Amino acid sequence: MSSQNPSAASTKSPGASGWLAIPAPLARLFKRFPLLTYPPNELPVRSPRVRDVAALYVFISDQDALNGLPSFNPSCLKWQTFLKLAGVAFRAIPSNNHASPTGALPFLIPPSSPNSFVSAKPIPSTKLEQYTAENGTRKISEISSLKLEAYEALLNHRIRNAWLYALYLSRPNSALLSHLYVAPVSTSRVVKTTVLYQLRHAAEEEILRSIGALVVNPERLYDGAKEAFEALSTVLGSGEWFFGASKPSLFDAAVFSYTHLLLDQGLRWEDRRLTEIVEEFSNLVEHRNRILQRYWG
Amino acid sequence: MARNGPDDDDVFEGLLKSETASVEQKAAAERAQAHEAQAEQRAIELLLQNQTLPVTLSSIEINGAKNTRESFLAPIFQPLLDDSRNADYTLADMLDQPNILFHLSRPPHLDPSSAPTDLDVSLRVREKSRLLLRTGTDLGNTEGSAYGSMLWRNIFGGAESLSLNASAGTRTRSAYSAEFATPIRSNPNFRLSIEGLASSTQKPWASHEEVVKGGGIKLHWLKDNGDRHQFGYSGAWRQLTGLGAEASPTVRGDAGDSTKSAISYLFQRERRDNPMLPQSGYLVKTSTELAGWGSLGGDVGFSKSELEVAGAIPIPIPGIRGSSGVSIGGGFRAGLLYPLPLTFGLSGASPSRVNDRFTLGGPTDVRGFALGGLGPRDGTDAVGGDIYAAGSVNMLIPLPRVGPESPFRLQLFANGGRLVAMKSKPKRSDEMSGQRLGAGTVFDGMVSATKDIGTGLPSIAAGVGLVYAHPIARFELNFSLPLVLRRGEESRKGLQVGVGINFL
Repeated sequence: MSSQNPSAASTKSPGASGWLAIPAPLARLFKRFPLLTYPPNELPVRSPRVRDVAALYVFISDQDALNGLPSFNPSCLKWQTFLKLAGVAFRAIPSNNHASPTGALPFLIPPSSPNSFVSAKPIPSTKLEQYTAENGTRKISEISSLKLEAYEALLNHRIRNAWLYALYLSRPNSALLSHLYVAPVSTSRVVKTTVLYQLRHAAEEEILRSIGALVVNPERLYDGAKEAFEALSTVLGSGEWFFGASKPSLFDAAVFSYTHLLLDQGLRWEDRRLTEIVEEFSNLVEHRNRILQRYWG
Repeated sequence: MARNGPDDDDVFEGLLKSETASVEQKAAAERAQAHEAQAEQRAIELLLQNQTLPVTLSSIEINGAKNTRESFLAPIFQPLLDDSRNADYTLADMLDQPNILFHLSRPPHLDPSSAPTDLDVSLRVREKSRLLLRTGTDLGNTEGSAYGSMLWRNIFGGAESLSLNASAGTRTRSAYSAEFATPIRSNPNFRLSIEGLASSTQKPWASHEEVVKGGGIKLHWLKDNGDRHQFGYSGAWRQLTGLGAEASPTVRGDAGDSTKSAISYLFQRERRDNPMLPQSGYLVKTSTELAGWGSLGGDVGFSKSELEVAGAIPIPIPGIRGSSGVSIGGGFRAGLLYPLPLTFGLSGASPSRVNDRFTLGGPTDVRGFALGGLGPRDGTDAVGGDIYAAGSVNMLIPLPRVGPESPFRLQLFANGGRLVAMKSKPKRSDEMSGQRLGAGTVFDGMVSATKDIGTGLPSIAAGVGLVYAHPIARFELNFSLPLVLRRGEESRKGLQVGVGINFL
């Protein structure tokens, strides 16, 4: 068997190297094939037709995507909002993590020329800030990274953990979770049950990894989120945008992505504790309304 | 012979002796043979004379079936006993029984309970080994894999079998399957099988990996004339994942989960003399699948039908007696995927997904094209089509000096095909992929796609090659050039290796 293996490989290589060694007249003859070339085949119905606009792949319902409404996923909404703040033209495409080159949404496919045979490479969320800087029509505030890091940590840990608990683990919100993330996956009950279990398991793992504990304690998560929102409220103060900037920044989009989803009447939260926490800070509510009216209006 | 002496005489005598001895030996052998032949002849005559002799069976004794249930064997032999009660049942009728090999038929003993026409039958059967374990490696066309399998036969003593397979390879990343099969009413031509599988397959022609978990139940019915019918139900959870960096928007749009719940029917009539190297005869094969319609459930709704016809005619060459080994063969395949609404829904039908659509092209169907090389392409991805038709003509010629009995042939071929997707109306073009189409839109789209199949020449390639027909697979090494193409379709200029069991 092993002696045949190299010979099997070598039958291919003479074909390849012999190809280069083909005498010129023969190569010219080969080049005449195919004798006839027709125009390309049409793409299937499900293939996206509009390619001259950037496409942002996010978690969103088909209907909301058509109407240009916000995504229901904070990470997606953050970048969706940011692109709007920066005045980048794009369409939201309903998608899921399997479609992403990194395994997580969102990502963006830049516009390609209609006649191009090669589609543009996708841009993961980590490189979206750079893409926006190159393609945006509006200026975005730059915040010094030192200040930012501490507050970003509040969002990415305390608020995110409480969000994960509220949406994925809090049983009263099961219906909302199923409506947003499970029902669109499949109509099959077996698949839905499996997906629901996987989502919950992943959320719990992430919370535990983040807080370094062995069990999830909801009270502590909500208390942590309350402290975080309080800190955000204090730093926003009476200003329009965070850190006293004259224009909104990526951080404004990030805060909006949580506050909007918690305050949105369209999402039926049964366990409303996190929503009630946000409602306590009126300047955060106004901040959310400001972004919604000016950039999503 | 110049000298004459006593030695020479001795030598001559010795020679003569040995010669006579060998002649005698030969004669003895011939006599024995003649005797045997005579005995055989006598036996045949005896049987012929007695074939109209009325017989009845008083008992059947089966030896050697230590793992086989009596309840499984009984239905096989019961007809024999029942038939023999008829008055006009003769020895010839008994010997004509299919499925059974008589080793011995005994004249009646002096058993007071037996009638004069009674026979006792004694059979010896040999059971196959109950457990078969196998591991190995496969090297094929651009694919290498390692596998392990277990076959457990005759589990409950009724020819039931359980086979478990596991393999891991370069293209099929991993595949596990289990199949339990059992004959129904002890009939080996009527089998029921239940299977489950979990696999993960790379599909480089469309930059993704498909993970499938599913199961099904099938009813196989092999008729005596060789026709095969198969009815089945299968359910599968498919996941399109692991997309390549270059994956097209079409594939990205179809990424994720979907479930398929489908009933299927397959009919095959195999009348070719040798499926790996057909010299004469024909094959007809049709398969139909209905998914998601009515109470089937699942996320995809469609009907998918395929037809395959193949045949070959031997070409006699003047001056060569018997089979010349030269033949002309042809094949035609066509398929149609028609979107149907889910359940009895009035919500309309969803257009097809990339994992349900047909792909066409490759060394085992339309030669001279890359795997999935024909049909619609989005960037570098072959995204498949809803309707296809493909045909081939080939001539097989034995190699000089080797002759028609050898499994080698030279092949001249020309093949071509068309794979098109359902058309959508331009006014709908800017809508989302989750759209539903009304019955009228689907029909119009399919009609215009069908018309498109016939516009212009199909995509064609032609070439020459060498065929080796091994009993379990056919190997081809072809040199081909494309003649007609659609822009974007991926052809192969030059050599192409094909390994498979079913060639166009």
